[in-house]
Amino acid sequence: MAEKQLESTVAAGAFQKQWFGDLRRNVFDERLPYALIQADVPFELFDLLGIPAISNQWWSAIISAKRLAPPFFDAMARDGLPDGLCRYCSLGMAATRYREAGAAPWGGLPKPSLLCARLTCDCIQPVFALWAEAFGSELFVIDNPGASDLPPRWWELTRHDWRKLVEPHRLQFSIQSLERLVAKLESISGRQLDRNALAEKLERVNRQEEIFDATRKLISAAPLTPVRMTEQIANVMATQWVRGSDWALAHARQFHDEVAARVAGGVAVCPDERIRLMWVGAGMWHDTDFYAAFEQSHGAVFVWSMYLAFGPDGYIRYGLEDPMAALASRTASFNEYLHNPPWASEWIVHQAREHRIDAALVLRPASAKPSASGRLFIETALEEAGIPVLPVESDMVDSRAWNPEAARAAVRQFLDSRVLQ
Amino acid sequence: MGSTAITALHSAFSDTFNVLGQDSRYDRNVVVASWPSVPVEVIRAAGFTPVLACSGAGATPAADEVLEAGVFPERIRQLMQAALTGRLNHVAAIVLPRTSDTDYKAYLYLQELRRRGRLASLPPVVLFDLLQSQGQDIAVYDSARVQDLLVRLAGLGDKQVGAADLSVQIESGNAARAAARRLAALRRNPVRVAGAGMLPLLGARWTMPPGRYAELAGDALQALAGRAARTGPRVLLAGTPVDSTVLHVAIESMDATVVDEVSPYGIDVAGGDIDTAADPCAALATWYGTHSITARTPVATLIRRFEQSLADIDAAFIVLPTDDARFGWDYPRLRDLLDARGIVHAAISGDPAADHAPIQAVLARSRGVQAVRHG
Repeated sequence: MAEKQLESTVAAGAFQKQWFGDLRRNVFDERLPYALIQADVPFELFDLLGIPAISNQWWSAIISAKRLAPPFFDAMARDGLPDGLCRYCSLGMAATRYREAGAAPWGGLPKPSLLCARLTCDCIQPVFALWAEAFGSELFVIDNPGASDLPPRWWELTRHDWRKLVEPHRLQFSIQSLERLVAKLESISGRQLDRNALAEKLERVNRQEEIFDATRKLISAAPLTPVRMTEQIANVMATQWVRGSDWALAHARQFHDEVAARVAGGVAVCPDERIRLMWVGAGMWHDTDFYAAFEQSHGAVFVWSMYLAFGPDGYIRYGLEDPMAALASRTASFNEYLHNPPWASEWIVHQAREHRIDAALVLRPASAKPSASGRLFIETALEEAGIPVLPVESDMVDSRAWNPEAARAAVRQFLDSRVLQ
Repeated sequence: MGSTAITALHSAFSDTFNVLGQDSRYDRNVVVASWPSVPVEVIRAAGFTPVLACSGAGATPAADEVLEAGVFPERIRQLMQAALTGRLNHVAAIVLPRTSDTDYKAYLYLQELRRRGRLASLPPVVLFDLLQSQGQDIAVYDSARVQDLLVRLAGLGDKQVGAADLSVQIESGNAARAAARRLAALRRNPVRVAGAGMLPLLGARWTMPPGRYAELAGDALQALAGRAARTGPRVLLAGTPVDSTVLHVAIESMDATVVDEVSPYGIDVAGGDIDTAADPCAALATWYGTHSITARTPVATLIRRFEQSLADIDAAFIVLPTDDARFGWDYPRLRDLLDARGIVHAAISGDPAADHAPIQAVLARSRGVQAVRHG
């Protein structure tokens, strides 16, 4: 595994492990509630009602990064679940339903008080239904209306004009859905949601994402990339899962300051940087070394992934007189921002230009149908913008069909033939 | 008269989408929907003829350039192919429901292709944002979406449309549903019609004017009711809902009969009647939200529907094509239910016309079970 170049990355990893250990102790020893939720469910509501929440995608990435996933996927296959079904959203479920098949990280998940998912992709409902059944826990679903009006350059509207981003009927429905969720969480926690505290929380999330925005600008403007993409992700996501907390704000600041010091000192990931790469799609968690594999041979550095950039562009909401509406406006269109035309391709091309990207690698996961769709529009838009694209056929968390050497050879050939030409 | 009715019903099921693009005067009165979770009553009330996109055997080279491989079902590929080759240029509108990810993404793709200038002549594309989870907020939301669809479609024509028009369509639609239920009864105890013949008779309900459908279905019923009972294994199709008879033909070439399929083109075309006493938009929203078989039908609803089909079944096939993202998750539950009842079964993921072996194996086992049961 590539060495960690930033102290904040080490601190982020240690925090997550400690946080998870504390959560297990609290659940087992103190019988306190916790929730298992999809990444796009508003964590803020759970936090304010004293119910810590674990992200399905985070847990899936942890299992995969620790190379513990294959036995669970094999168990799914033995149970008759087709190989073509989404792996990313189901690995956590598999580690519970087939717990005897392998070892989950850090002792595994305790039984949650609630599972909660937005019905973005068609697979979410059946996967979470199986997961809830395996735990014997309740499932709360939030339906997901489709967007019919997608104004251009969404990232310029999210902060101040967020009401223009979501059609009124869809926004109203999303608010009602979150209110139903609040009622459910209140019944679990025995507390009442403090609306002023919600506004304060969202203010703090804004502060955190503003720091990420400043960090993004440091990285994009620096002559040479100061921090590896994998370390950007580790710092950002550890913070996002507990966003708006004291630790999150302090850590975002620590990460920013460390990046700023590296930029000021002229410290680069790869002093011989010649090619600036972007990674389009979710992380390939089972082989994160892949992202540092072309630094020595080609001076090729991954500068950008969606994880740092999406925080400031997707989360910041100014004008918090109605905090639930602001929160609903963020929640309502996650998939459209990141996967669907025209929003995803338009934003990614914009980000590529901002970061002076020379070439893009686009993840093509065969099993994750939502992530697999929309990518042809993204690839076409990047190519039309003069940015060569290499599709990478891989799953985010399932390494069983992944050939690391062949994949690296394909990238080297791509860099030689299409980028260094 | 009966054979004429059967021919007309089969044609209404098989040909309505394929003939688009041949006569612009006919096309102007057509609204194309990608799945029958779009209320045909609304389309008719607005003065248009509903036509449903469907799977076909034709190649889809233009669609394959813009749709990712292994993600979109055949019916969406055919719809996109027709749009990209100009066959839908003269229809009044294309309506895509939110009831699967691929339908929703097809809506976004069509809009984007238009924005990029590749579909400059495409008619209006409308998203019908029907949600299928449960709750009062869902019912209110869906009812408003039905109203919105009616307003949008009515705005495309010169017809003044109101609630009374919807009520008329609901009432005549209920009569057609009743006729479909009578036809579907020929599939059980005894089985008088092969599934490959029955599916089009039922599926035509979506696209044919309801009064005409009820009349022809009645004629077909008379012609078919006297047929000799079919013997051999009785088969259920579940998993990804079928919208063609390809699998029926393959199964029935081996002396079995498909007597039910969990699909909006089978008996689910009829379902229960739509409430005529309620507000028509709310009644349609309730019916389509709860009865539509889609990728977003709640798990419990699908399983319940499946369980209702298991009486008098000898074998089942779970259809799981490679583009499936949803129905495969139910496989362990369906398998356990079938095993508990001693019903032989198999998953079908490839082309049934090309590979008969898994079908043959299951049907052979089901005949063995039948022989033991009946001495």
